[in-house]
Amino acid sequence: MPLICLGLEGTAHSFGAGIVSGDGTVLSNVWDMYSPPTGGIHPREASRHHSDVGPTVIRNALERAGISPQEINLIAFSRGPGLGPCLRTTATIARTLALRLSVPLVGVNHCIAHIEIGCLESAFEDPVTVYVSGGNTQIIAYAGKRYRTFGETLDIAVGNMLDSFGRAVGMRFPAGPEIELKAEKASSYHQLPYSVKGMDLSYSGMLTAARKLHSEGTPLSEICFSVQETAFGMLAEIAERAIAHTKKRELLLTGGVARNDRLTDILKGVANRHDARFHRVSPPLAGDQGAMIAWTGVVQHRAGDSLKISDSHVLPKWRTDEQDIVWREVDG
Amino acid sequence: MAEQLTLGAESIIFRLDQWDREFILKHRPPKPYLLKAIDDLLKLSRTNRECKMLTVARSLGVPTPAVLWIDRKQHTIAMDFINGTQLKQLVSEASERKLRELCEEFGRLIGLLHDGGVVHGDPTTSNVIVDKQSKVWLIDFGLAEMNATVEMKGVDIHLMRRAFETTHWDLEDTMLESALVGYRRTMREEAEEVLSRANEIRTRGRYH
Repeated sequence: MPLICLGLEGTAHSFGAGIVSGDGTVLSNVWDMYSPPTGGIHPREASRHHSDVGPTVIRNALERAGISPQEINLIAFSRGPGLGPCLRTTATIARTLALRLSVPLVGVNHCIAHIEIGCLESAFEDPVTVYVSGGNTQIIAYAGKRYRTFGETLDIAVGNMLDSFGRAVGMRFPAGPEIELKAEKASSYHQLPYSVKGMDLSYSGMLTAARKLHSEGTPLSEICFSVQETAFGMLAEIAERAIAHTKKRELLLTGGVARNDRLTDILKGVANRHDARFHRVSPPLAGDQGAMIAWTGVVQHRAGDSLKISDSHVLPKWRTDEQDIVWREVDG
Repeated sequence: MAEQLTLGAESIIFRLDQWDREFILKHRPPKPYLLKAIDDLLKLSRTNRECKMLTVARSLGVPTPAVLWIDRKQHTIAMDFINGTQLKQLVSEASERKLRELCEEFGRLIGLLHDGGVVHGDPTTSNVIVDKQSKVWLIDFGLAEMNATVEMKGVDIHLMRRAFETTHWDLEDTMLESALVGYRRTMREEAEEVLSRANEIRTRGRYH
């Protein structure tokens, strides 16, 4: 019987169900994003959203894949890191399904899933990964049996910075796409704090300065332009430091903010300069969704990894480098 | 003749043989993928800063290459060539005793900077050179800053730890422990405040 894995993602605002076969074919990938009418994400409300939409999302995923629940022989779920209530709701659904269908359960690290789905799509073997989303900003590379965080934000994630700025100027969540559109209409640059520390960076000072520009009446498109150029320039620098340091020859861009075309162009330039190949994860696989969890579940399962229901508590603060990477053969 | 030694993240390093001496040319080339205004500002400020901070560090007793001249238009600094090896490359071959000695000295030098109100800004093992006499030098001061607060020093220690963790994972504990012995020796009572801030910084930024 071919391996068919149902992956459930629910670490933050989105609940997703993806079905992936053992050869890496994405059979379906359905998600529903919680977008509050005003303000940001409240963990409890997001988890309620997940339990409300969960069954429908899973049913849709099965229908689109054209398979029955009995054909699923592996369940993977996002075990962390993420918002506690969201993780617990998702884990409860995953455990129930694993018990009901009598199939093994695998717990997947959300950040690692973003890398693995990117490697599947690009056929990269050993990339430096720029993982940028609402909750995470990390530069990750494989070394000594772990994915190691070479650099990250010291305060807020780049997506969080964009959303917070957007909220302050009256945009809806997520604000990234609207900021990108506005930025395309401007070319005047207003200097903003550029804060790189080694391979780490910081966005809180920039956010404060951008809000100040807005309160002073600077045209919004010009602020959006300046915010993007500064924020992505900082990311380019730390990505470049990681490439120069690790001497790796592949650069992977993933996470929800990977959808941004300007960021993609900048990182392409970085890869070029260092003779590295570049890949931006395609939009449907870039954000938080179940296919990445399902695929990572497949590779973990093949390496002999499984999780007993009684040990399957969630790990809200699970760090990228805490997971032993048993399925990789390259030695970085 | 100038020979290219390395292509770094923000600079190209050349070795220049002239007047029977060897020099290093550190050139910051334009980055066409950045907005020009940002690129220009970074090249200029990093070049100026590096020039100044190499000298400030020396005045605090930290061995650094002496700056010979600077070309502000080409964003190029000429400095002494230190004939030695990066600590990063020595780690795997050094005996444990030697490694402890070198890391302790690395920590002591970072302590000297911090004690003088300076942070290095990128304290990785790539930026530590060990010469033939086992003397330890610090290089790459483009991200260094003066008037450092406890927070800035904490970030510096966090970055040093991160470098051990990502690049020398199998010797991380030995290296960190030795570096902190040297650091505490120069920073004395101020060390603990910085170290506890570094621990706090480590937990920020991550999902929680």
